[in-house]
Amino acid sequence: MNDAANTDRWIRWLNTVQLVLAGMIIMAPTVWMVLSSFKPSFEVTAYPPTLVFSPTLENYAELTRTTPFLSYALNSLIVTVGSTALGLLFGIPAAFAVSWTRITWPAILTLAARMAPGTLFLLPWYVMFRQIGMIGSYTALILSHAVITLPIVIWVLLPSFDAIPRSVFEAAQVDGCSVTRILWRIAMPLVASGIAVSAILAFVFSWNYFLFALVLSNGDTKTLIAAAFNFIGEGSTQWGALMAAATLIALPPLVLAALVQRWLVSGLTLGAVKG
Amino acid sequence: MSDTAAPLTQDRQKLEMAALSAPAVFFTVAMIAFPVVYTIWLGFQTFSSTGKQSFAGLANYSKLISDYEFWHGLWITIALFVLSLVLQLVFGVWLALVLFNAKRLPGILRSLFISPFMMPPVVAGMMWLVILDPSLGAANYILQSLGLPPSDWLASPTWVIPTVALIDSWQWTPYVALIVLGGLQSLPPSVYEAAQIDGASPLKTFQRITLPLLLPTIVTAAILRSVDLLRFFDIIYITTQGGPGNASNTLNIYGFRVGFEFFNIGYASALMLTLTAIVFGAVLAFNRLRGAVAW
Repeated sequence: MNDAANTDRWIRWLNTVQLVLAGMIIMAPTVWMVLSSFKPSFEVTAYPPTLVFSPTLENYAELTRTTPFLSYALNSLIVTVGSTALGLLFGIPAAFAVSWTRITWPAILTLAARMAPGTLFLLPWYVMFRQIGMIGSYTALILSHAVITLPIVIWVLLPSFDAIPRSVFEAAQVDGCSVTRILWRIAMPLVASGIAVSAILAFVFSWNYFLFALVLSNGDTKTLIAAAFNFIGEGSTQWGALMAAATLIALPPLVLAALVQRWLVSGLTLGAVKG
Repeated sequence: MSDTAAPLTQDRQKLEMAALSAPAVFFTVAMIAFPVVYTIWLGFQTFSSTGKQSFAGLANYSKLISDYEFWHGLWITIALFVLSLVLQLVFGVWLALVLFNAKRLPGILRSLFISPFMMPPVVAGMMWLVILDPSLGAANYILQSLGLPPSDWLASPTWVIPTVALIDSWQWTPYVALIVLGGLQSLPPSVYEAAQIDGASPLKTFQRITLPLLLPTIVTAAILRSVDLLRFFDIIYITTQGGPGNASNTLNIYGFRVGFEFFNIGYASALMLTLTAIVFGAVLAFNRLRGAVAW
């Protein structure tokens, strides 16, 4: 009896050790990035690396002084908000229709787009957008990023719409409600939390997306992610400013993801796993 | 619903439903389907240095077969894919078991666990670039304090692919773990109790009961990761751009560079169509596997 309790406690202790170890490996690089962003420039590249230092904001000041960081951030915000809005505008009615009719091919079509390598679309887009002079425009960037956001919105919302009992809609139909009215007045309020999760996930993945802006943006419309090369610089060791840039770029998605962490996994697996 | 009114409302309903999905379908056809057809056509074209375009038949594809860089890129893509997938599945299952045994996962801890894969891969690349710097990075300092030899990491042609696999696994192992954790939580507790009564050891229980029951979930995680791993781009492009030399030149990186650095749009199209076929082939194969391990 006592023996079993001892073994049990031992196993639990071993498990906690593993959990702490895993947590440290997961957290350490990010903590290092944030710490480095607050180090005085002579200490960022100190070897052996230092853990104790007097924190400073000089790297952040340097970043805004030497690069158009704020205008890149504004570009990122325009493209991300625009593509998220477009994804919601097209995705919400489509998810509702797919859930109602069980005609799934529109949803699968958008998913196929999510699986193919982005360069496959980027090549023809580049040729087409160049011909109509849209390279570097916000429109081209928002349209390309909506390819990322649309399948996220549709596939995160599908299970939410599926969960609404049919009788709710049938009752409304008997009362003479049109389908559009049912979506707007009844279904959308019922899946409001799903819409919030899908909007946040769409925002995060649009914000994080690298490839399209690399080719479709120009000096004036460059997003933060596409501008990452500017922060790295050629063979320089401005690590303080680089880590300040990395910290600021990672901040919006990390804060938003923390808000919806509970629903995140079922959303990220596009309904393949109920989390 | 009365019988006489039904046909009319049903027709009307169908029309309204079609109208609701029309914008998404139209958008996808305009942005995806049409461009892909255009890419197929571009794959049969050559572009001269002046930008003049002419029909080339299968020239791009025969070039592909004799192109050393293509086969090298294919090898790099597969090596990176296998290495990363194995790392992420093994450590993901381990982490899931640890989390499962901890019973309760507070929200704040879950937020920390998801932080690697919610941050932009580009940021992960910037961050690890500093940590893995061969002369001043913290990673080599840690190795040396443990009495181990330092590594050139991303700057070494031999180690660049394992290093990239390590960075990607740091980002995505927690994601695999959370998927597998979902699978663990949905297993009926009765099977464990039965095994316990039979006196099976924890290792045997895992090997004979937990693992087989988890396989469908693990394959699902493998599918989701494969799609990203086979078209690996962000971390490599931000850290090495395919280098040193061509040591990390995956097919996606190679295709991108052929298209947008050398502006050989026709050949790049042929490369990307080949890569797309590989990605979809892998997804279909894994889907078969999932059918085979379902219970």
